[in-house]
Amino acid sequence: MSSGCLLRSLLMLFLALLSANASNWLYLAKLSSVGSISDEETCEKLRGLIQRQVQICKRNVEVMDAVRRGAQLAIDECQYQFRNRRWNCSTLDSMPVFGKVVTQGTREAAFVYAISAASVAYAVTRACSSGELEKCGCDRNVHGVSPQGFQWSGCSDNIAYGVAFSQSFVDVRERSKGQSSNRALMNLHNNEAGRKAILNHMRVDCKCHGVSGSCEVKTCWKAMPPFRKVGNIIKEKFDGATEVEQRKVGTTRALVPRNSQFKPHTDEDLVYLDPSPDFCEHDPRTPGMLGTVGRYCNKTSKAIDGCELMCCGRGFHTQEVEVVDRCSCKFHWCCYVKCKQCRKMVEMHTCR
Amino acid sequence: MAGAIIENMSTKKLVIVGVVLLLFQAFAFMVGGLIAPSPTTAVHYLATKCVDNQKGHHQGRKWFMPWGPNQCDKIRDFDEAMAKRIEANNIVFSVHIPLPNKEMSPWFQFMLVILQFDIAFKMYNQIKDGAMVTIDVSLAYRDDTVSEWTEMAHSVEQRKLNCNLTTAKIVENEGRYYECDLLPFMEVGTVSHKYYLVNIRLPVYERKKVNVGIGEIKDIRLVGIHQNGGFTKVWFAMKTFLTPSILIIMIWYWRRITMMSRPPVLLEKVIFALGISMTFINIPVEWFSIGFDWTWMLLFGDIRQGIFYAMLLSFWIIFCGEHLMDQAERNRFSMYWKQVGPIVFGSFCLFIFDMCERGVQLTNPFYSIWASDVGTELAMAFIIVAGICACLYFLFLCFMVFQVFRNISGKRSSLPAMTKARRLHYEGLIFRFKFLMLVTLACAAMTVIFFIISQVNEGHWHWGDYTVQINSAFFTGIYGMWNLYVFALMFLYAPSHKRYGDEQSSGDQGGNSGEDIQLTTTITHADGPTEVYRMMGKESQE
Repeated sequence: MSSGCLLRSLLMLFLALLSANASNWLYLAKLSSVGSISDEETCEKLRGLIQRQVQICKRNVEVMDAVRRGAQLAIDECQYQFRNRRWNCSTLDSMPVFGKVVTQGTREAAFVYAISAASVAYAVTRACSSGELEKCGCDRNVHGVSPQGFQWSGCSDNIAYGVAFSQSFVDVRERSKGQSSNRALMNLHNNEAGRKAILNHMRVDCKCHGVSGSCEVKTCWKAMPPFRKVGNIIKEKFDGATEVEQRKVGTTRALVPRNSQFKPHTDEDLVYLDPSPDFCEHDPRTPGMLGTVGRYCNKTSKAIDGCELMCCGRGFHTQEVEVVDRCSCKFHWCCYVKCKQCRKMVEMHTCR
Repeated sequence: MAGAIIENMSTKKLVIVGVVLLLFQAFAFMVGGLIAPSPTTAVHYLATKCVDNQKGHHQGRKWFMPWGPNQCDKIRDFDEAMAKRIEANNIVFSVHIPLPNKEMSPWFQFMLVILQFDIAFKMYNQIKDGAMVTIDVSLAYRDDTVSEWTEMAHSVEQRKLNCNLTTAKIVENEGRYYECDLLPFMEVGTVSHKYYLVNIRLPVYERKKVNVGIGEIKDIRLVGIHQNGGFTKVWFAMKTFLTPSILIIMIWYWRRITMMSRPPVLLEKVIFALGISMTFINIPVEWFSIGFDWTWMLLFGDIRQGIFYAMLLSFWIIFCGEHLMDQAERNRFSMYWKQVGPIVFGSFCLFIFDMCERGVQLTNPFYSIWASDVGTELAMAFIIVAGICACLYFLFLCFMVFQVFRNISGKRSSLPAMTKARRLHYEGLIFRFKFLMLVTLACAAMTVIFFIISQVNEGHWHWGDYTVQINSAFFTGIYGMWNLYVFALMFLYAPSHKRYGDEQSSGDQGGNSGEDIQLTTTITHADGPTEVYRMMGKESQE
């Protein structure tokens, strides 16, 4: 290991300590160099995990690849959902992945926590279904249905395992700090809301297979929604998120809406503590606060992707650009595209 | 069929029999609800994308394992395939049934698999209208984790993609998935092996327009459905218990009939036939499926159930007909051809349909009649004809029941004017009919109510610490109920063998009206009048 690398690692460590609240484990998505996480020793080397997470990693090494895929999924989906906003979920190569934007209790942080908790549940469930994991369904007896196992009564759904794993792996960071802090409460709530976005939108499919295919015998099952749909649901919750503060309700501390006239939030809603910054200007003191200079905008739109709002009133450049587009393509269902190239001139607007 | 036991029984005894039957009924429900697990399980499988690196033709089929030792070269997604320049024809979707560390078992009875495609919407690569997907699919089995795979079936099948996008087809929605109908994939009648392996290819031949215009496939998902081992065990136990019960009462019933001096009447024969068809269902031949690889068991089960249903429906018609109390001479099966015809024809249609679906699946488990347009039309035709037959049947039945009730009310008014024996005869008929009517309606209502509950409900109710499996309770309860129905029928409607007294047929001699024709056909053939008759006879003498 070169000294430069060491120095960088130390710097990262320092940064990580500085912003211990961030969902650092998302950094797993960036660790393409590690290869597959196949033995317990790799767990120690993974950056971004806290001690308790390392322990979970060691106990469930086979699941960690799925967790990493989940982290990547979360980042991709975040970037897709925020592609037209001032903060476009851009990641840094350092830790925390999203910079300091998500270390405060903002709406954006709420979204990131929810989508990442959901993505772990999603990725682990998928890994279960493809047979990559050996511990799914039957072993973790979530519903208590199958004391006699697979042969007697089948197994519970894989989604139960995925959600349970997400709860133990993602939430452990907040739980280890105790329940009292504002941020822990907010993060736990948003994590759960993310998982609820999957659980409450499972699609129910049924198949009739009685005599001559009649519905005398019918089997129904729940299928996970596509992750894009989960992202859309969480984005909707982001748009309608509730600003909350901590109050004592009876003996426990709970988050209640800051404006008492608002309806109390449900399990599925996102909550946040601090108002978001405007994300207009680049701020070198806040990593991840990149500003909107140079971003493309839509001249005709009045929404957040419109040049007016996107550029924070600074105005925009207009450029005539030749775009090479694919046209009259021939596709196969996989891996084969044959296209002609069509050139056309497009006006591009970028923020000043 | 005069002088059935039901007429001779005192009310007290009848109540006792009723209560005992009800207890058995409750027991049947409880066995399903509390002991058995849910009837079936659905297991999700996500196909692993394997790469077939072999060039050209090779000796024998190569099997691609999704996990474990000797697993195939996997790719995570098709972007990776694109980068590695892998062609669509070299990609094999592989699914191992069951998931790791589990074994299939003969107790699962059957295995049917559903196919689902995850197809992402792409502006320039949309699913064409009426797109067909051609799948080259093979199935293999083995019984331990190390030996070679043995091919079980291989076929090239077509399935129609019925997909739609719930949102607008604009660039912003690229990457969203289409919502596609479930596709039937495979049906196997026995699960006699421990491990199964499914390899699916989607070959592309541009010239023949094979697998062109099917959109951008992201994933293939399978859902495997099988009966739960626990449910099978409870079910077998129930059948094993019910078979001798029905068999014994059947023998007892037939002995009673042969003991009579007259030949059995039609209704008695029909009740006996009902008993036979019930026993036919009951006999637990499924035990053999544990030891033998009999794939036709599923089809055989369908046939057995079909015979019973046809028999039950015929019984109702004939029972109504024999209680019509008009002057017509029936007592012959040929009299009922008009009513029984639709049942036979309808069952025959369903039988042909079943043969086309499950019959063909004996040789090709991937076959589905619904996959092709012609097949779909044919299947629909069979089902519609069967439906029409069912409607026709119920019209006949309702009309007959109506006739019986009309005749009953007609007879009621003229009862006091009749001679005692004839009055008693009619009163017996009316009572017998009303009793069966009531019981049948109750059974049918129970079946319908439970069917609706099991369709609407989630499948299990939590009740304190107990989990009640509604679906299993439905199956065992309803099955038990119809068994008890047949049992009660044979017991209560068996001819009573209380002997004639010396004071035989004091009223009969007076009979000279046209009505007596029917009366004599039943009464004079009868072994003896009922208890009530005798008592009445005595009274009248006194």
